[in-house]
Amino acid sequence: MAKEVGKDRLGDLYIDGGKVRRRREWRGVADTLYDYSRWLKIMMTLGKFVMKPRNVKAMFRYRWMANYLAVPMMVDRHTQGLRGEYLRICHEEQDLIIDDVAQLLENLFRGDRRIGNDTEFSKRVVLVDENEMTAVMMGFPNLKVLSRETPSTYVSVLLNQHAAEHYIDVAQEFGLASDVCPMPEAEAGVSIDDDAPVLGACAIQCNTTCDGSLLGNGVISRRLEKEDGIPVFQLAAPLRHREDDVQDYAAQEIKNAIAFVEKHTGHAWDWDAYFECAKRVNYATKCRQEWLEMNRTEYPQVFGSNLALYTETNYMAICGRIPAFEKADRRITELARQAYAKKKMAVKEYRHRAIIWGVQSHYYMDFLVWLLNCWGIVPLTDMLSMVSTRELKETDTPENRETAYYDMAWLTENMIMRNRTHGGYQVLLDELWEYVDMFNADMVILWEHMSCKALDGMHGLFEERARERGIPLVWVTHDLFDPRIVSRQGVRDQINSFMRTVFREEPLDPSLEVLKDEESW
Amino acid sequence: MSKPMKLLCWILLFCTGFFVITFTVYFFNLDMKLTAMIEPFLLKHYDRIERDRHL
Repeated sequence: MAKEVGKDRLGDLYIDGGKVRRRREWRGVADTLYDYSRWLKIMMTLGKFVMKPRNVKAMFRYRWMANYLAVPMMVDRHTQGLRGEYLRICHEEQDLIIDDVAQLLENLFRGDRRIGNDTEFSKRVVLVDENEMTAVMMGFPNLKVLSRETPSTYVSVLLNQHAAEHYIDVAQEFGLASDVCPMPEAEAGVSIDDDAPVLGACAIQCNTTCDGSLLGNGVISRRLEKEDGIPVFQLAAPLRHREDDVQDYAAQEIKNAIAFVEKHTGHAWDWDAYFECAKRVNYATKCRQEWLEMNRTEYPQVFGSNLALYTETNYMAICGRIPAFEKADRRITELARQAYAKKKMAVKEYRHRAIIWGVQSHYYMDFLVWLLNCWGIVPLTDMLSMVSTRELKETDTPENRETAYYDMAWLTENMIMRNRTHGGYQVLLDELWEYVDMFNADMVILWEHMSCKALDGMHGLFEERARERGIPLVWVTHDLFDPRIVSRQGVRDQINSFMRTVFREEPLDPSLEVLKDEESW
Repeated sequence: MSKPMKLLCWILLFCTGFFVITFTVYFFNLDMKLTAMIEPFLLKHYDRIERDRHL
């Protein structure tokens, strides 16, 4: 048990074949007490959540709610090995996300016809996909924008690697193809399994991001519209999003979606609220750019899952609508500046600077922390964090109101993942190598999400470019939501053998190289 | 012992007790060990719920 970074054998905390860890980490007095205080806060959030009878009722109704037993462990996984500012940045983000998800669950169960059945509240709810920019809701401050898929599948798999398996099996039992992305397949499985809360005045689905997504949305919207009586708008954003000639159409789609929400909720679009949100989106972009600037130097500060998970949440699901995230942006930036000024490092040695590209394995989101602790590989940035940096108009003028539709359309087209998996080889292939140069990276880790046809089609082109440039590239195969196909150790093995055979290196922490965590949450 | 002193002692005792118990739970991961034991019972319960399963 050591205060110093890298002194502990982190693998010793695992129990072979166990669901949970042996004990929590000793990080020195100050950092351990800090981590303990944040654990207490999380326990209070969970305690407050279970005090409400309707939340307990939901716990016994929805299978995916069992995954929320693992909330503190999710935080432990992401904070593994971290000290000082890195630990604080991680908690700043994770604790806020936990609060936000707890609020989302409370709202879902309040309006749910099976649980709280608050019909007046339900009339103010607009359902959105998990994989969808919420930009189109920035001007509806009095409506609740809720995603059923976020807590039932997206967060569930972050909490428990096995969370989606039941729903994937249900979808396949009903004849859905088994070679599509398991994320939308699991979301469809939740709907088929009658395990989604039923509420809302209307819903908006987006054509993101693939065949599986369209399949899943079709199954979900059918049940919503035909059985639950909840009308659904299909927001069809252009796929060739870098082309100028699609932007008028994209802006018109946004206008149509807003008109649809106004019609079904009776609430009018509020420009003041929109421009307030736009300011917050711009601030978040400014902060993210500053973090990425730091990551180009020898002392990166906000990287790995600290960058990836927070960007996904803040950019896409929040989209300036929740002021608490602006405070978190500010606090994270302060911590990063502080650590940067002191030339701090998250582990004792940075051996490689990596760009992580492709769609990461969701059941092993803390793999980025593992890379750092086990091999000293710094994941400088990842594909899903390289999102739009366009500055939105933030003052209310007639011209800016018209531009705002184009800004919202741009955000929707440039949703996380979609902005890279669609839009041509320039955004997926060419820009990767631009980032390699920009970040002075010496290796590329390319996720091969085996069910993602958009990415798999470019396999050879990535290898060709890597050879041309002499940049070591390692493929890491996974199946996004399904660890039965490639386990966490299967993911790690691909890096382990690459590091030993190509780089001929030994791990920083050998205890992390092989972990028996197949049964773990 | 005066009343305020007694009260202070009780508060100190309570805080120390609270810290010792919660820190033990935290450090030895007892919260997660407990919830890991609960999960199988919940999963069995979900299997028993009647559902309107269809496309």
